Amino acid sequence: MNYKKYLYTSLFVTGMLAGCSKLEEEPYGLLNTGSFYQTESDAKSTVIYAYSVLPEVGYYSRGYYIITELPTENLTQKADAGVGDFELDELRTTATNADLGNIWSYLYRSISRANAVIINVPNVPNMVEATQNQYVGEGYFLRALHYFNLVRLFGEVPLRTQTIEDVTQIPMAKSPIKDIYDLIISDLQQSENLMGMQKVEGRANKVAAQALLAKVYLHLASSKASGAPGYDFVTTADDMYAQAKLYAGKVINEQSLYGFTNNLRDIWNIKVYKTPGVTEHIFDAAVNVAGPAEGNYSKIQNMFLPALGFNMILDDGINIGAGWNHFQTEPAIYNSYTENDKRKTELIVSSVKNEAGTVTNLKISDFSRPFTRKYIAELGTDRIGDASSVNSPIIRYSDILLVYAEASGPTAEGYAAINQIRNRASIGDLNPGLSAQAFRDAVVQERAWELAFEGSRLFDLRRTNAMEKVLVQQYGKSITSGAYFFPIPQKEIDTNPLINE
Amino acid sequence: MKRFLSLFFLLALLSVQAELWAQVAVSGTVTDATKGDPLPGVSIIIKGTTQGGVSDVNGNFNLQAPDANSILVFSFIGYQSKEVPVNGQTRLNVSLLVDNKALEEVVVVGYGAVKKSDLTGSVGTLKGAELNKTPAASVDQLLQGKIAGVQVIAPSGQPGAGATIRIRGVSSLSGSNSPLVVVDGFPWGDAGNLKQINPEDIESIEVLKDASSAAIYGSRGANGVIMITTKKGRAGAPRITLSTLNTISTLPVKLDLWRDPIEEAIYANEAALNGGVAPDQLPYLGKERSGVYFPSVAELRGLDPNKPQWPYNTDWVDLVYRNPFSQSYTLSADGGNENTKYSISGNYYKEEGLVKLNYFDKYTGRLNLDQKLTNAVNVGTNLILTHTKSNGQQVNADRSRIFPAYDETGNYFRTASNDYGNPLAVLNEVLNTGKTIDVLGTIYANIQFTDWLQFRSQLSSKYGNSVGDNYQPATVTFSGAEAQGLGSVSNYNNTELLNENYLTANKNFGDAHRFNVVAGYSIQKSVTRTSNLVGRNFVNDNLRNENLGSAGIQTISNDLTRSKLASWFGRVNYTLKDRYLFTLTGRADGSTKFGANNKWAFFPSGAFAWRVIEEDFMQSLSAFSDLKLRASYGVTGNQGISPYQSLDRFGSGFYWSGGVRETGYGPGLGGSNNEQGLRLIGGLGNNSLKWETTNSLDVGIDFGFLDQRFTLTADYYMKNTYDLLRIRSVSPSSGYDEQWVNDGEINNKGFELGANAAILEGNGLTWNVGANFTLNRNKVVAMGENNLVPVGTLYETIRQNANYFAIGEPAYSFYGYKTAGIIQTLQEGLEAGLTGAEAQPGEIKYVDLDENGVIDGNDRTIIGNPNPNFLYSFNTSLTFKGFDLSAQLYGVQGNDVFDFRKMTPSRQIIRWTPDNPSNEYPRANSTRGYRASDFFLTDGSFLRLQNVTLGYNVPTGTIRGVKSLRIYVSGNNLYTFTKFNTGFDPEMGENGVNQGAYPRPRAMSLGINLGF
Repeated sequence: MNYKKYLYTSLFVTGMLAGCSKLEEEPYGLLNTGSFYQTESDAKSTVIYAYSVLPEVGYYSRGYYIITELPTENLTQKADAGVGDFELDELRTTATNADLGNIWSYLYRSISRANAVIINVPNVPNMVEATQNQYVGEGYFLRALHYFNLVRLFGEVPLRTQTIEDVTQIPMAKSPIKDIYDLIISDLQQSENLMGMQKVEGRANKVAAQALLAKVYLHLASSKASGAPGYDFVTTADDMYAQAKLYAGKVINEQSLYGFTNNLRDIWNIKVYKTPGVTEHIFDAAVNVAGPAEGNYSKIQNMFLPALGFNMILDDGINIGAGWNHFQTEPAIYNSYTENDKRKTELIVSSVKNEAGTVTNLKISDFSRPFTRKYIAELGTDRIGDASSVNSPIIRYSDILLVYAEASGPTAEGYAAINQIRNRASIGDLNPGLSAQAFRDAVVQERAWELAFEGSRLFDLRRTNAMEKVLVQQYGKSITSGAYFFPIPQKEIDTNPLINE
Repeated sequence: MKRFLSLFFLLALLSVQAELWAQVAVSGTVTDATKGDPLPGVSIIIKGTTQGGVSDVNGNFNLQAPDANSILVFSFIGYQSKEVPVNGQTRLNVSLLVDNKALEEVVVVGYGAVKKSDLTGSVGTLKGAELNKTPAASVDQLLQGKIAGVQVIAPSGQPGAGATIRIRGVSSLSGSNSPLVVVDGFPWGDAGNLKQINPEDIESIEVLKDASSAAIYGSRGANGVIMITTKKGRAGAPRITLSTLNTISTLPVKLDLWRDPIEEAIYANEAALNGGVAPDQLPYLGKERSGVYFPSVAELRGLDPNKPQWPYNTDWVDLVYRNPFSQSYTLSADGGNENTKYSISGNYYKEEGLVKLNYFDKYTGRLNLDQKLTNAVNVGTNLILTHTKSNGQQVNADRSRIFPAYDETGNYFRTASNDYGNPLAVLNEVLNTGKTIDVLGTIYANIQFTDWLQFRSQLSSKYGNSVGDNYQPATVTFSGAEAQGLGSVSNYNNTELLNENYLTANKNFGDAHRFNVVAGYSIQKSVTRTSNLVGRNFVNDNLRNENLGSAGIQTISNDLTRSKLASWFGRVNYTLKDRYLFTLTGRADGSTKFGANNKWAFFPSGAFAWRVIEEDFMQSLSAFSDLKLRASYGVTGNQGISPYQSLDRFGSGFYWSGGVRETGYGPGLGGSNNEQGLRLIGGLGNNSLKWETTNSLDVGIDFGFLDQRFTLTADYYMKNTYDLLRIRSVSPSSGYDEQWVNDGEINNKGFELGANAAILEGNGLTWNVGANFTLNRNKVVAMGENNLVPVGTLYETIRQNANYFAIGEPAYSFYGYKTAGIIQTLQEGLEAGLTGAEAQPGEIKYVDLDENGVIDGNDRTIIGNPNPNFLYSFNTSLTFKGFDLSAQLYGVQGNDVFDFRKMTPSRQIIRWTPDNPSNEYPRANSTRGYRASDFFLTDGSFLRLQNVTLGYNVPTGTIRGVKSLRIYVSGNNLYTFTKFNTGFDPEMGENGVNQGAYPRPRAMSLGINLGF
């Protein structure tokens, strides 16, 4: 019988097949730790990945503004916004607030990516030293920026400086605010030393590190001086003011890459600030309308623009399309400007035309209100559909000029700095001879006008211990919770067993 | 002398040989015992040998029996086998009785087939002929209500839509819950969209429900297995059949839409006013809004002295829907001889949708071929080719009647420059087509080593390809406008390669011991490639997606996943004295998908059945024709996750650095969005990732009375699934949000009943009644650190998910607020803990469950359950002479529906107003922010008259050349008894959420089956 032949043949063939079957997986289209951090281009890509989180929806293209602007007198939100927005606007935040949960996640994702740069890039072989230093410096800068945001929003938080290799690293207790600032300052000092002076849109350099360090010192100084909660650990306010002045001075007096822009609208003109000639924007989260998804392009303009049902044409003829009316300007900020303040007359839009030329006037008490033109883009070129090239400025020159003024106090340099800002806005010089306190209060108010809608006001109020004084007493809001630090999100509490230890 | 001697021996030898080979020539005819018709293709085996023959087209046979005392065994599908002793006769006329008992029926199980009476597990069976005759692109839909324990959910009436199939409940959080489909021994994958099979080609469908029957499929068996067997060739002259089905469909119910533009406008104005819009900004005031004139209510009434009667009152139902005509034609042939058997068929299917321009086209071809090479070796092939094309989309007809469909210049009318709601624009202008090609083939060899030992080796391959074309013009949809023209081409292709080899042994030891043993191994590889080309920002809409390279912004993505499954499997069936049946089954599976520490797992099961009917004491109970008790216990698995989840993976992102787009890579891989719309980050590896494991127990009983005229099968089961494949939340401060782990537990238990009664038999009149009943209770027992996990979609209306997995509750439970009617006074609203607009009279009164004086997230609780209490169905068939009449009813009882479409116009009319203080329907309010609440919940129970068919069999010989002719009319989805929201079909998806699905058509079909 020849069936044995069949049997043997078939068993042999199938046995071969079975013998060849290994069960290891070879992932396709996915990189991982084992195959990465080998070349300079890997290193560059690690840095790019750390930057790419900045303009994402949860961070600088929407989330940051929701968190920092709604609680202040600057912005409120449309009626059908999420409950998280209402909690922020009404200063009654809870641990389950979705907006806070989102920004918490984004901040730590950003830190994880910055850690990947700091940990891995120094070990990449055969790199040009200057390039390697620049990349590592950018990693330190970004980590400091994220922790500065975290500590100003939440206070004590887990301090993560390592990449996660194993799940056992995940449970982690909070660190004291002091330790967080120690890391921020040391990161920024390293970053100042490591980085060079190249000016690249969307990237940090030495000036950016100095500017951010000035802001950090000013935050410590004024918090200590005003007795803001959480900052008892700062030894003396004056030392911190001096440091703030020192670093702001490096930006104001010791470099020529950045400088003062005389025309207010140029500061917010994409056609200006996206060119190499830009002097105002020290560090932006950069986007471009040609990006493939939100986060590579921005929709931030839609948050501010009203939804009138037609494309809006501004007084200088730019068609900026329509928005979602998500943010609505509050009367408090709008009415606080003097009538001739150019930051109101030139930077807040209160009258628009449709394509047929019909004029619509926007009233501050209406559903569709006057809105800032800090986040606009021309339809068809810098804006296509809802996508735009609108960058989110993170550090700009005028901010640091006011840091310099506040740190200097009522000195000649201090007055010169604030008056430069005031004169650009056509509101004249500040009263001379003010006391240190009165002068610094005036600078903080100047910051409120100059930096409105840019995510600065909440931190200015917190560091001057003025949340109640301004928001409650001056503007009649009420504060239920989260005045100086927002609650740590519930998701972290639920998943991190050490968070409350 | 030597030569003579040699010759002598040779002759002697030959004579012995001759004596051994062919002593008795036997011939004769096989006929049907009742009708007397000749039966072709009857298998005739000489008992105790492998030799025999097959009857020819006229029922004649001719073979050589070894001796005059040989016994011939005649067997034929659907007839009782008969043993006939030759007794020296040379001519035998044999008549076979139709097998009513069905106990001798063969049931297909994994890697083999067993007699129904020998089954130990719980297996549901259905003949292809029992499927309803109605257009169904995917045969899964036709299983609805047919088999106890099988839940078929088909909420969409869109042509080409698939179904969701659940066998004995949901047992996985994140993995697949769909049963495995095995077609002619080839595991195809998850059930739900079986478009590759023409229902006309199906011989039988078996459903393996318990662990004993499904464990042979190991790590893919936990959700049950559906075995589909296609028609095979039978020897005889070619049998050619033409089947046609022509169907006209209609909307089953009148949609609940505004009928009167005046009422619509009054409502819209009132809603805007209540929503805080200034009185001079209401929509219908006779003013221009964003360049479009909106009439006043008076103008709509024709009572404005300065304006003519408003001319428009658009009937969108007429514009959007049609009465579609669908067709299906199948031409098939089968036949062959003792050595070659074939079955071949081709089908053209065109299903038109209720929505204009929407259709699904399908071409299917099938070939089953079996060739006997030697007495010991059979080879053959099963081949299926399928092409499909779908076109069009769902659009809604609930647009305002007040405005026309087109403006004066013939363009689509828009109520504002950003109005993308005109359904005709979407219908006509949006390109949405999909084309698929599937090629499925198996080649096999069966080797009969001895009369009891057989070896089978098969090589199968499955190739599936699909291409989707989409274009949204810049002016028609929101996405299209956002992108200034959005075009895409999406490609998918999948190949599966399978090799299976197994031995089957059937051996009896004496009369008391029968063994059936299967053992083998298998290896299956799967590769799926996808690519997606997207273009945004086009110069104009003329070329649609035909030149994506000309798009201002181009996005490319591609992906490949591959996985491999290696397995060893075996089964032993042992039957003692025909009454004690034992089955042991096991499968070891090794999968690439799992962690380095857990590549292999073993899935054993055991079953015992006792055929009580065979016992002596049953002999006195002659009413019983069958009584069998069954019990099984075993372990099955679920590997339904994507590949690579156990590995550490990086994410990538772009950043504009100095105006140049650069690419970044690093830790943290972006995945799905959570309920707040936050994109979640994964990419953390897990070396210990492994299968979900289900332990299940089944006890069952089979009864038969009066020679199987009445039969009943009942099963009770408990399934406990643990090591759930689950995405665990990790602390977001780690930079990650989630990791795949195994933890958690879900229980299912339930009861199934199937009953059949042949109430009338004989005298040309038969009447059969059948019923089945399915009850399942599902409970989520554990989910690691979580008590409540949202599943499915985040709904913008309620800013949360509707469905949750919650500890102690059934899967997909609804979570939200309780309500207590409608607020009648502001005081009442404030006392309820509501503030602002929510506290106003006419708003929904939410309940402050924690009694802290404030309505907030903590007041949410489990408010409903979308899982039905039970499913049931009835079917009946009546035949009289050539006529037959059958009907099927299908019912679902006790499920809640989360009805987002609750406030239909007919309910908006009876809304709360100060003059009509309704406690049921809230006031009109255009800016109400709804909370997820039991306000939306409605009982979704229904009983549907699924199918009624009336047929007539034209007597054979009436038409020359026509062997058989049956003409029938079949009505589907004829009527639904329900208290659900009128205007909607109550059948919802598994999650029980109504957002207004594609309407399920009422279909009237005319069918012809013609045999040549």
